Amino acid sequence: MLYQQLINGLMLGASYSLVAIGYTLIFGVLNLLYFAHGEVFMVGAFVGLYVVILANTNIYVALLGAMIACGALGILAVVASVRPVSKDHPLAQLISSIGVTIVLQNMAIYIFGGQQVAFPDTIKQELYRIGPVIISSVQIFILVVAVVLMALLWLFIERTKMGRAIRAVAENHETAALLGVNVNRVVLVTFIIASSIAGIAGVLDGVKNSNVSPFMGLEVAVKGLVVMLLGGLGNVMGAMVGGLLLGMVEILSAAYIGTTERDFVTFAILILILLYRPSGLFGTRTTEER
Amino acid sequence: MLDHLFDGYTRSILIFTGIHIIAAYSFYLPFKTGQVSLGQAGFLAVGAYAAGIMTQKFGLPFPVALLIGGLVTGVVGVGVGFPALRIKGIYLLLLTLAFAEIVRGVIMTWEYTGGAGGFQRIPYNAYTLDYVYGLVVALIIFFARLERSSLGRAMDSIHEDETAAEVMGVDVVGVKLLAFGLGAFIAGLAGALFAHHTTYVDSVTFNILVGVNILMFVVVGGSSTYWGPVLGAAFLTLLPEFLRMLREWLELVPASWVDSLLMNRIYNFVHEFLDFENEKRLIVYGIILVVMMILRPDGILTRDNLRRFRFVGRRVGHV
Repeated sequence: MLYQQLINGLMLGASYSLVAIGYTLIFGVLNLLYFAHGEVFMVGAFVGLYVVILANTNIYVALLGAMIACGALGILAVVASVRPVSKDHPLAQLISSIGVTIVLQNMAIYIFGGQQVAFPDTIKQELYRIGPVIISSVQIFILVVAVVLMALLWLFIERTKMGRAIRAVAENHETAALLGVNVNRVVLVTFIIASSIAGIAGVLDGVKNSNVSPFMGLEVAVKGLVVMLLGGLGNVMGAMVGGLLLGMVEILSAAYIGTTERDFVTFAILILILLYRPSGLFGTRTTEER
Repeated sequence: MLDHLFDGYTRSILIFTGIHIIAAYSFYLPFKTGQVSLGQAGFLAVGAYAAGIMTQKFGLPFPVALLIGGLVTGVVGVGVGFPALRIKGIYLLLLTLAFAEIVRGVIMTWEYTGGAGGFQRIPYNAYTLDYVYGLVVALIIFFARLERSSLGRAMDSIHEDETAAEVMGVDVVGVKLLAFGLGAFIAGLAGALFAHHTTYVDSVTFNILVGVNILMFVVVGGSSTYWGPVLGAAFLTLLPEFLRMLREWLELVPASWVDSLLMNRIYNFVHEFLDFENEKRLIVYGIILVVMMILRPDGILTRDNLRRFRFVGRRVGHV
């Protein structure tokens, strides 16, 4: 029973992680709470759905499609709503991203309607028994995709030149710029990466729950914020681990305390961390207290 | 009193505008000391439920319930304000957001007020319009006086630089707590007024977007002057209504003007384009928000605008 719950927690946590990674990357380079990130997740889910339905292809094409579409959305967001807003006004930037949230959500409602849409089964359901745990092929698929994605991202951030530039900008904007890092480009790349990961996470969520809706972004957005804080602002590894952790805590508290109390636990954790460990469980990479 | 002057639709719009102005002021007060709260929705909820319980469960008259709702919320506000003293910026944003979500959680599980089914049959208050605008006027006067008082200047100094303010002898902890608690009190009043107008509230009524909206009212209106919250709340509340009215105005164009084929084409295109059903309206609203923040990141109205306006022809040294 307990192992089964842990697997379920891992499943839930994987999507939290993927969304929180985007949040924390963007927060790292821009010091910006990018509110629209949950809606990018939602757009990714819908793109995946339509690729599956219209092109009648397999799920990998859908993942790729969502990734490309959301990456493009990331570019659009930077050009239209991030760059033009003055950097000295953090609240103006926040509101601009809220404006994007409103636009994306209502466009989705306008185009796809305000209801849940079923996500067709693209993976053959099979159940495997490993020791005390029963795990389905869908779950394995989601876990594998999430883990591969996180590993690739980790390699990118730690091992490539662009990754190093992202880390440099996260640590200190001005110094990075002085040392010849093209901050504008770093911001753009960060947005593309964060958005495409959120897009994939959206498709995975659609596969997992067998449905997508224009409203699925909001909850994930809020949970993503909690995870970002849990892992330490701007700390990508922290976001990965924090997401899995929060997923498990939520599933366990739902199983042993009650489903309605689940969110209590989440936000109680958030408050405790804010008060006693504001740098997150694993420390933070950003220095500014924003 | 004001009730008979307007039809139902206008009255309802006016009431919501007024409540939004009050809510915006509840955000503005702690903001004056540099505390940015995303959790005003939580305070609105506390006020709504506290006052609703007073009228519905205990049968108290509305004015008493309103006051109790405000006071209870103020006490809760001071309770939240204490931990809020330790943190700032994005951390405070998240703390207040977590508070609001916890309030929603309590609402959903508390069977006494209907739980997830919502708090129903709250007595209707026929004089909401009078109360709301009475309160709005009172708040404007209060903030106008506050701006010129030593307390207001202490708040501004904390906003600018907390350490410097402390060195100058400002009681930073006391002033910040006062601002937060008083802001919560105002939010409680707004929540109570809201609940006794709609007669039904539930956890969705006070979701995270409400808190976000309140923040937007102040920043869009202009957070450096006390006219900002009024302007922002009114602008953002009336904007969707305005967009809806555009089409009705277009229909007032006499038929003879659009007689020719070309004019008819244009008319039909514009008519089609202005068909602002719910989502389309909100899409435009979102775009306007982004554009506003690009063009005027300090909000529509700033202190400098007002100063120029007030001292025409009288040169006053700029600080």
